[in-house]
Amino acid sequence: MTAQPDLSIFLLTLRVAALATLFILPLGVAAAWYLARLGGPWRTALETLLSLPLVLPPTAVGLLLLELLRRNGALGRLLDRAGIEVLFTWKAVVLATAVMSFPLLVRPARTAFEEIDPRLLAMGRSLGGRPFTVFRRVALPLSWRGVAAGTLLAFSRALGEFGATIMIAGNIPGRTQTMALAIFQRTHIGEDAAALRLVAITVVVAFAVVGASEVLGRRRERRFAA
Amino acid sequence: MIELDVSLPLSRFPLRVQAALPSDTVAVLGPSGSGKTSLLETIAGLRPRAAGRVAIRGEAVMDTARGLRPPPERRRIGYVPQDSLLFPHLDVEENVRFGMARGAATRLFDEAVRILEIEPLLRQYPATLSGGERQRVALARALATEPRLLLLDEPLAGVDAALRGRILPYLLRIRESLAIPFLYVTHNAGEARAVAESALVLRRGAVVHAGAPEESIAAPSRDDPEARFDNVLAGMLSAGEPGAAGVFVVHGQRFAVPAERAGAPGPALYAVAPDDVLVSTRPLAGVSARNVLRGRVRSVEEAGGTAWIRIGAGGFDWTARLTRGALEELGLTPGLDVWLAVKTHAFRRLR
Repeated sequence: MTAQPDLSIFLLTLRVAALATLFILPLGVAAAWYLARLGGPWRTALETLLSLPLVLPPTAVGLLLLELLRRNGALGRLLDRAGIEVLFTWKAVVLATAVMSFPLLVRPARTAFEEIDPRLLAMGRSLGGRPFTVFRRVALPLSWRGVAAGTLLAFSRALGEFGATIMIAGNIPGRTQTMALAIFQRTHIGEDAAALRLVAITVVVAFAVVGASEVLGRRRERRFAA
Repeated sequence: MIELDVSLPLSRFPLRVQAALPSDTVAVLGPSGSGKTSLLETIAGLRPRAAGRVAIRGEAVMDTARGLRPPPERRRIGYVPQDSLLFPHLDVEENVRFGMARGAATRLFDEAVRILEIEPLLRQYPATLSGGERQRVALARALATEPRLLLLDEPLAGVDAALRGRILPYLLRIRESLAIPFLYVTHNAGEARAVAESALVLRRGAVVHAGAPEESIAAPSRDDPEARFDNVLAGMLSAGEPGAAGVFVVHGQRFAVPAERAGAPGPALYAVAPDDVLVSTRPLAGVSARNVLRGRVRSVEEAGGTAWIRIGAGGFDWTARLTRGALEELGLTPGLDVWLAVKTHAFRRLR
């Protein structure tokens, strides 16, 4: 049996999830900020679109990504010309987990931004702050808990992504095999005990991350309370 | 000189303000919901749908017909809203420094802190401040940006609201030492008269009076149940004898004021409510009131069941409020000689 050691699977998973989260953090915060300030039918349309990965079967999302990234797909052609290989590499794992985690980051961040009094932001402008300055010095400090909670949620989702990953990255030990994929594989070949060891690790990690996210989401900074 | 010619669609009525105010200090009066706050937000650039022209001392702040519609951050207008809108995550010092350019002269900060007397508050967070303190911090924050115009929207102070929380004394100081033009929204026509050289009275989004604040007192009161007309007097307080009343001198006229607040001699500001000014058509003798003055009726205005009498006495224009019945009984008409009486404890110290 050439099974990968638990630790190296865990580290690969951690690295991939961290990269995916870092990748979607600026995009997700920007999207959340934009959505929080957008009104009308466009907002509903955009929000629905961004939430699709939450409700679609992950394999469906994976298949869509596969179509995009195929050598003659819309994105695949560009990447091929640039000499970048994505499919069935660790980059594909990052991409799949990023897409699947994105809505989980955007939602709490958007809610946090919406809770800010828009007049407070207007005040920042009136005091000479340009829009980005006001975002950095007023909006972010007032909503960082929501943004952090969303980031942790997205990270925990990234740790456990399975369906989209297996579609575009396969299940290659040492290259694209994350915890979720390894559990599947070990169970498949009858190594239930080894699979359960991985399950135990994921439970501990998920508990810590989701717990931290909950705490951040709930507790308000005391000094703000009147 | 402040020129206003702006319009803004509001849900209840359109705001349409057209006025050329001859002075740099303007009080804005009018009942709640008459468009005062919307006017300030238009000038500050916070109402994208507003159109028209605003100029201060001949310099255009906005002029939409000529395509001049700068965003709020480029207007250099210091706005102090009713609810102060301090940044809750920053302490007082950080709030005041918020709008200051990096490397800006510390003089600006020091001056704002000194004038508004907020030095002891610098380390506190807005949630721990009283309403009056918040207003002062918000005003300091606006001042520190070196604005070319200040916009002050004072919250409606109930009859029982603490007078010492009022922003008026600080506004007087700013007028004296910095000479920054301002628009001051207030419900107190007496304060308006004390601090501003022009008054702008709004009703349902339109101008009903623009000019000197003393020209009309009934105009702001007609439909503003919260309107107040305190007599605001600025003068010098000399130390009284211990236990006795303080002596407050305005234009050479001496007034007896309550001893408890008279501890610190020097410049002082007192308010007397118009209900506390007694009017008599005969020389007063044998009254307990310590302050009796002789004067002459300047104007009589009636609004509802109330009469507002403007009386010149001791170098000051007093406002007295009488019932209509009392007005008729006394037969008060402009030019008539009268005597005023004000009790010591009717003098409430503002500064």
